[in-house]
Amino acid sequence: MKTRFGFLGVGIVVGIALMLVGWQIVQRSYRYQGSLIDPPLAAPDFALNDQSGSSFRLSEQRGKIVLIFFGYTNCPDVCPLTMANYRQIKSELGVQADQVEFVLITIDPERDTPERLQGYVSSFDPRFIGLSGSLEEMQKVWESFGVYRAKVETGSASGYTMDHSARMYLIDPSGNWRLTYPYGFENEKIVADLQHMLREAN
Amino acid sequence: MKKTNPLRPYLIRLGLILVLSAIFVGIFNEAVFLLQKDQHDRAPQTIELVIPAGTAERVAAGEDDPAIPAEMVFVMGDTLLVRNEDTTSHQLGPVWVPAGATASLAMGEPAKLAYSCSFSTNRYLNLDIRQPTTLNTRLTALLLATPTMTALIFIYSLLVFPVGGKQPRQEAKAASPKEGEA
Repeated sequence: MKTRFGFLGVGIVVGIALMLVGWQIVQRSYRYQGSLIDPPLAAPDFALNDQSGSSFRLSEQRGKIVLIFFGYTNCPDVCPLTMANYRQIKSELGVQADQVEFVLITIDPERDTPERLQGYVSSFDPRFIGLSGSLEEMQKVWESFGVYRAKVETGSASGYTMDHSARMYLIDPSGNWRLTYPYGFENEKIVADLQHMLREAN
Repeated sequence: MKKTNPLRPYLIRLGLILVLSAIFVGIFNEAVFLLQKDQHDRAPQTIELVIPAGTAERVAAGEDDPAIPAEMVFVMGDTLLVRNEDTTSHQLGPVWVPAGATASLAMGEPAKLAYSCSFSTNRYLNLDIRQPTTLNTRLTALLLATPTMTALIFIYSLLVFPVGGKQPRQEAKAASPKEGEA
């Protein structure tokens, strides 16, 4: 009888050990699905104003993942779709979304006042952050993030639209540029990357 | 008296047909593969591209980078690795690379994609991601086709050559009274 319990105990221990080894193998073999910057590169720091007028400094977000997208509130297609993607990603992350900041940085500071950004981002989610600043401040940020933007006069009542790059940047909890996602990248893959990075960070 | 399993002749026939089907499907598969294979029927690999220093200036001056084709073909599982030696960030399709950094992207499902490209004068790059025909694909085809073919030939063989088909005639002969015995 004693021997039987001994074997059972050894079996349980070996089983748990094998599960842990398997889990480690799965974790190590994870391959990020976005465009991976490796080795990671320190993201250029910036300080801009959020929609409530408070200062938002990138380097103060350490410990959290920051998703950044450059767009504008008058955008007819790419920006609202990306904000809707933000909302879906946040929803799929569940409670883990508390460790992620979802940021929209304007490429049209002339029209995107804090008030306008407030209405825009909160229509998607009140926790989303909309950043703007003076043209000089903004130009430094656009340049450091390699953002393309160009005014396109339409002659319509809205005056103009903006051509702009539409990639999403992922800044890891150490403040590094780690991943970027082209426009239209599947949300499920972004969520998987975020979940893996959060597991790694914790 | 030794009792024989009535299913035995069926099982022997099924086994033989299974072996013959596997051989036939295997030969057929390989023949088709050899006739149709191209350079993209290969295992996934890492494709490395280097953006040399001064590329942005050359593109601004209207010169294309001759090392980057307008269309790139990958197979599923390939990794596109881009090393940017220029002083400005660059975008090669879905891969954005800050100045002096290296970025990579694993190619997922088969698709034809068009992306913007910062170091091509036409500003666009087409990516074609294909499903390669590898040893695994061929083995999968073999495993899928062999049982189906076995089942079809087995059923067909039962109709054309029934198991023990001669026996009933012999038994009938034995049972029928011989001429002159009546």
